Amino acid sequence: MRPITCCLLLVVLLASCYSTRKSKGGGQTSVPAIRETDPSDIVLPEGYTAEVVASGLNFPTAVCFNEEGVPYVIEAGYCYGEVFTTPKLLKIVNGKAQEVMKGSENGPWTGIAYYKGNFYIAEGGQKEGGKILRVTPEGKQTVLLEGLPGNGDHHVNGPVIMNDHIYFGTGSVTNSAVVGPDNAAFGWLQRFPQLHDIPCQDITLAGVNYESEDVIKKNGARVVTGPYLPFGTASSGGMVIKGKLPCTGAVLRLPLQGKEVQLVAWGFRNPYGLAESPEGKLYVTENGADVRGSRPIWGCGDVLWEVTEGSWYGWPDYAEGKPIHLFKRPGGEPIRNVLQQQPGEVPKPVASLSVHSSSNGIDFSTNEAFGWKGEAFIAQFGDMAPGVGKVLAPVGFRVVRVNVASGNVEDFMVNRGKKNGPASKLGTRGLERPVSVQFDPNGQSLYVVDFGILKMTDSGESRPVQNTGVLWKITKKAAL
Amino acid sequence: MKRMMILTGLAVCIACSSARRMPEGDLQAARETASMENGRHQYMKYCQKCHPMGEEGLGPALNNKPTPGFVEKFQVRHGLGAMPAFKKDVISRSDLKDLIKYLHARKKAKRLS
Repeated sequence: MRPITCCLLLVVLLASCYSTRKSKGGGQTSVPAIRETDPSDIVLPEGYTAEVVASGLNFPTAVCFNEEGVPYVIEAGYCYGEVFTTPKLLKIVNGKAQEVMKGSENGPWTGIAYYKGNFYIAEGGQKEGGKILRVTPEGKQTVLLEGLPGNGDHHVNGPVIMNDHIYFGTGSVTNSAVVGPDNAAFGWLQRFPQLHDIPCQDITLAGVNYESEDVIKKNGARVVTGPYLPFGTASSGGMVIKGKLPCTGAVLRLPLQGKEVQLVAWGFRNPYGLAESPEGKLYVTENGADVRGSRPIWGCGDVLWEVTEGSWYGWPDYAEGKPIHLFKRPGGEPIRNVLQQQPGEVPKPVASLSVHSSSNGIDFSTNEAFGWKGEAFIAQFGDMAPGVGKVLAPVGFRVVRVNVASGNVEDFMVNRGKKNGPASKLGTRGLERPVSVQFDPNGQSLYVVDFGILKMTDSGESRPVQNTGVLWKITKKAAL
Repeated sequence: MKRMMILTGLAVCIACSSARRMPEGDLQAARETASMENGRHQYMKYCQKCHPMGEEGLGPALNNKPTPGFVEKFQVRHGLGAMPAFKKDVISRSDLKDLIKYLHARKKAKRLS
């Protein structure tokens, strides 16, 4: 082999050596958490411009519009790191936020839809369980549904209204179906020691269990925990876990004129963003599993699914439509299936999205004037490394567009600079953590909700900075 | 000495050059060929999630490495470190050829600065 070839191979080898490199996530920064904005620090395809609609928002997660096209934003009221604030519905007028109503300490509010004169809000349910709320423009609140799972790692997400139903997602309680020390680190295991995932239909367990430190009693003892069971409860082979509604890791729906929750599809981990395509199909973004807890999953990307009624999407024994054993951590233990029988055939995802990108809110372009009609726009919140696992560089922190026919993903909105990351890490005034996107009613402008600064400690703890959220508006010049 | 200079030059290239590329547009003309479009599709299917847009992510950046095609093909077929191997039954020979072609087009696209 020629010397130059050897050199090139050596360079590739050194640059590729994953295990020797430290995590460099977007939240891993010691730069002071100062939030300023300047659209010129954002890069968009030629012909598009960005502007700031509102800033100083406190953990904003979603935006919607009334008939007149006035934007309304929700503030979550909760952020990882056990930071509880008050969830709020805000009307944005001339860049100022006017409070329409506020909720209880049961965030995070993760999504909002406006339909025929009312707002519909997904209340995450970290303390009281998830809820679906209906709110009038005057701020009068009605709880349409409560008692939804939402006290764990993931929450109630959505909603989107189609076919006279409110569609919403329920995230899984855990990373990969087993309650473990990572859930104590989240903070909820101490509040709800009996909490665990709930299947939507009966499942039969394989009898696979995981040993961990007793993080509830903290007495140095070891406990054994099985999937879909409370912390410290072991499973056995052939054990049947009864399915019930509402369940976790599912897309559910509620008739607009009814009270009975219905199953749409299940086997998701965290179905975060829901949207109806121009063809009337339901799509959902799924946050893939992390390298944490008793059953760590490595290299699992986020995905975009087309939702088919009645289907099982594979969690916790599949990820991205592939068998879970393929996601073994380098040097780690093999990952065993926890289910004895697979509840169904697993579909293939529409698109693969970056590992740890936290691909969240989604909307479809419906107007040729804006461009890319029929393509999905997805907000990538950005990695929460090292809490979710190691990354070699910040992942996400951008808005991408996806051609749902081909599965091709392209950047749409990114920060300027030679490196990727949130503005707080780059030392710029651009994007921080895009959490959702929404086209205005005429489809001419894309609104991007930017959650604000969320730092991560080297031990993986979340450190959000309040009142750093921003609402951005993207317009195509020719469409003005 | 000459070898050292080459090696140092490559190291500097990797350390200094950006893996980031402008959103949309630059590859539009290149995509007009079917093989380029297929290459992009293969990239999205197998590479994108760890090397988003050719940048660093879970895996290292690809856009800023002056690696010749045959080395890249070798790495895809045999894997390296944490990267899995993709054999012919997963990525066919012609698909791999298209994938590498797309990857090289991406490297040449306008840099983001």
